[in-house]
Parts: sequence; C-alpha cells; structure tokens
Amino acid sequence: MTDSVAKPDVPKRKLIAIGILGGLVGIYLTYLNVVATDVTKTPITYFSFFGGIGAVLATYWGADAVRRVSKYGLGTGVPSIGMLALGMGLVASMFGLAIAGDVANKTGLEALGLLGPIISFVVAIGIGFIIGYLANNVIGINVPVMVGCTTEIAGSGALILVGLSAAVAGVFTFKDLAVGSVTIYGIQSSVIDTGFIAVLFIASALAILHPFNACLGPDETQYRTLRLAISTGAIAMILAGISSVARLEIAAIPTIVIGLAIWIIFFKKYYEAVKTDAATVVETGLIPETEV
Amino acid sequence: MEPITMLLLILGITIGGVLICAGVHFVPVGGAPAAMAQATGIGTGTVMLATGSGLTGLTSAGFMLHLHGATLPQVLASGAVGAMIMMCITMLIGNVIYIFGVGVPPASAKRKTDIITGSRQDLYVSKGTEGHGMPTMSFVSGTIGGLLGGVGGSLVFYEVYQVNQDPALSGIFAVGIFIVNAVVASYNIGGTIEGFHDPKFKRLPKALISCLIVTLIIGVFAVLIAGGA
Repeated sequence: MTDSVAKPDVPKRKLIAIGILGGLVGIYLTYLNVVATDVTKTPITYFSFFGGIGAVLATYWGADAVRRVSKYGLGTGVPSIGMLALGMGLVASMFGLAIAGDVANKTGLEALGLLGPIISFVVAIGIGFIIGYLANNVIGINVPVMVGCTTEIAGSGALILVGLSAAVAGVFTFKDLAVGSVTIYGIQSSVIDTGFIAVLFIASALAILHPFNACLGPDETQYRTLRLAISTGAIAMILAGISSVARLEIAAIPTIVIGLAIWIIFFKKYYEAVKTDAATVVETGLIPETEV
Repeated sequence: MEPITMLLLILGITIGGVLICAGVHFVPVGGAPAAMAQATGIGTGTVMLATGSGLTGLTSAGFMLHLHGATLPQVLASGAVGAMIMMCITMLIGNVIYIFGVGVPPASAKRKTDIITGSRQDLYVSKGTEGHGMPTMSFVSGTIGGLLGGVGGSLVFYEVYQVNQDPALSGIFAVGIFIVNAVVASYNIGGTIEGFHDPKFKRLPKALISCLIVTLIIGVFAVLIAGGA
C-alpha cells in the first residue's frame, strides 16, 4: 500500500502555465501541416494530432479550475459549470477565429489570420471574467474563487475547442487556405458546416466536467481527478480523430492512435489511484442466484 | 454594415438572451431531490432541461428558416412550438413515471392549493418531502418556460443568421449564447425551482440584469463577424 495522502497538489500557477502554453503550442504546431504542404507541394496533414494534444493539456487545466470552483457547491451541479465553460469557449473561439480570418482578408496580411487562437483565448477570459463578476456581485453567489475560476474555465474551454477543431480541420484558420495549388480546408468548412462542432462541443464539455463530477466527495484528491481529466480529454481527442476522417482521411490515424494511447495509459493510472485511495478493494463476485 | 442595422441586430440578440434567461426561471427544475421524488419538478438540472428544449427549438427554427422567404414571426413561432413540445413531453413522461412508476400524485408543498386549478394539494404531499411530480401550475409554468426559451433562442439564431448567412455557424453560436444564459439563470435559481409560484421566482430581476449585460457583450462579438460568410 502506497500512501497517497502525502502526494502534494499541483500548484494552480503550474496548471495554468501547462494549460495555456500547452494548449496554444499544440494548436500552433498544427501549422506544420501548412509548412510541410508548402515544401512538398503535396497535401500533408499528419501533424493535426498536435491540436488534440493541446486540447488534452487545456483539459488538464480546465478540470482543475472546475474542481476548485465546484468544491464550494453552487447548487447547480458540476455539469452546469462545464457547459458554461464550453458555452463561453464556443462563442469566443468562433469569434476569435472568424474575426482573424476577416481582418486578414480585408487587410491582405495573411499573418493576421494566424492570431485567431490567441484572440479566441483573450476574448474567452474576458467573457469569463465578466460572467464571474456578475455571478458574484449581481446574482450574489458569493464564492470567493468565482471570478478567477470562471475566467480560467472560459479560457480553457476556448483552447480545448480550438485545439480539437484544429485536429479535425488540420489547420486553425477559419477559412480555407490555399497553399500553392493545394487547398487546406479551414475550420468553417470542415468543422462547423459539417456539424462536427456539435460533437466536439459536447465531448469537450464532458471532458472538463466529468473528472470532478465523478470524483467529488470528502475523499476527493487532486491527482486522481486530474488523471481522469487527461483520460477524458483523450476521449475527446479520439472523437476529434474520428471526425477528422471525413476531411483528412489517412492523416486521422495519428490523432486516433495517440488519443487511444493517452487514454489507455491515463485510465490505468486513474484506476491505480482509485485503488490506492479506496479503503479496501473487495472482489465480491456475481450476485448469487438464490431466490426465484 | 450600417451602424443602425448593427445596433438593431445587437438589440435583437440581447432581447433573445433575456428571454432565454426568463424562460429558464419558469421551468420546474427539481434536480437530484426530484429524481428521487422528494421535490416538485423534473428530476434533472436546469442546464440539461434548458439545453434540451433550446436545441429542439433551434432545430425547428432552423427548419423554418430553411424555407424560402420565411419571416421572423414564422421562425420565432416554429422555434417556440418546438421548445414547448420538448418541454411538455419531458414533463408528461416525467409525470407518467412519478404517478405510475413511483406511485406518487403530483403535488407541491409550497402552496396549499394549486393556483390554476384551485384544488387542495397539501394533503397529497408525502411526509418529509417538498412535493413530487409536476402539478398543473408547474406544468403550465414549464410550458411558458419552453415558449420564452424557444422564442429567445430562435431570435438569437435569426439575428446571427442575418449577420453571417451561415446556418451552421449561426446555429452553434446561438447554442453558445443559449447555454451561457441558461447557466447564469441557473446560478440565480440555485439548483431548484418549481415555476412562477416559487418564492425564488422573485429573484428574476437580478438574473435578467446579468443576462442583459452578458448577451449585450456577446451580441457585439456576434455582429462583428459579419464577413464570416
């Protein structure tokens, strides 16, 4: 028996850093697709899985923010907080990506189109801050961490959604991108118009809300919840991989396989944590069939 | 886009958001206690119910918008009917389960008589519970909630569609706005509410102000992606 109680919590700042940097770096690494396509003059989209990894890291952070705010018991259930996160993230990410594409089109500066994920993130934390502030000061929830945590979950919600969208589309630009003679389809035509956005929305909402919802209680520990968070994030990544088959075809395989690998590893780790944290694990066998 | 058109669109989206927020307050949400037939209302959370009826409303509104030359009132009516049907079926099936499955009559401990039918209900409340099922007043309240939510959601959808002409983008944007307003409203309710007769209903103005501000800001973002199509 290992002593799990001694495991120190990962500090908030570290989680925020992992979430923001990991999320953004993951999203921007999908741009390697465009670079590779440009160099080889053939469509290459094998780097799409980086978007999924970014989303998993953002989930790691977001689930902890959900955990911190839900501990106060808002009376509305943990799921509502996860849905709020993705609602805010959805509005912010659609706006950020679309406005970056618009500005790039109007000014002719293509580089501006690459700012989409950052604009989405900034808008999301803005919306999150306002909602947190209103919830505390107008509605009067009076949870001390409300403003900070709502800001964090909105930011992570936007990063998860942009990351998964990038994994599906292969690129994080809103519009289709012409790379020489090759067209890489943007998020609008391959994620939104196809309806995959609805799958990604609910998958990422569950990824962020399920860990604490499943682990909550007096014996909840951060390391157990966060291991589950990575495995739920990986499930969202697998779903994004399956959605990406439509547009990326064979290049969807890395996303699915890496997602599966992360899920298997972290679900096992989560199960270990469950066994460590439990008082005892008893094999009861099947219920005996005695009465008719 | 003309500034005046932009303002009107933002206004439309904001009104839609406020309607959604008001609609959520009418829906009889019982949460976990209601799932065990220990409180009046549907046995699930506010957001689940609002999302369910809102998405049905959006689907039916989108169906109407798809028809060539559909006008705003038609889209709103279609969305409202969709959301109301979803809400009514949920409450009806809920009541069937409570009455025939659990074996409890629909009643609420918060009022001695049902304010619509006028019949006594305190006699039927099981001891130690706050009521169970959806009595007539909660049912009517829930239907009004579906109406307001459906109209609000379709209005947001319609206005956003006027901006970017992309049905998928406007649909998902409307879903985002819908969920944000539903959650803000549910923070105000604090988990459970029985309908317009519930004392918590008096808190409505606070949520309306919050949703007004939130939707106004999101509305500005929605209108700015005019060139999205």
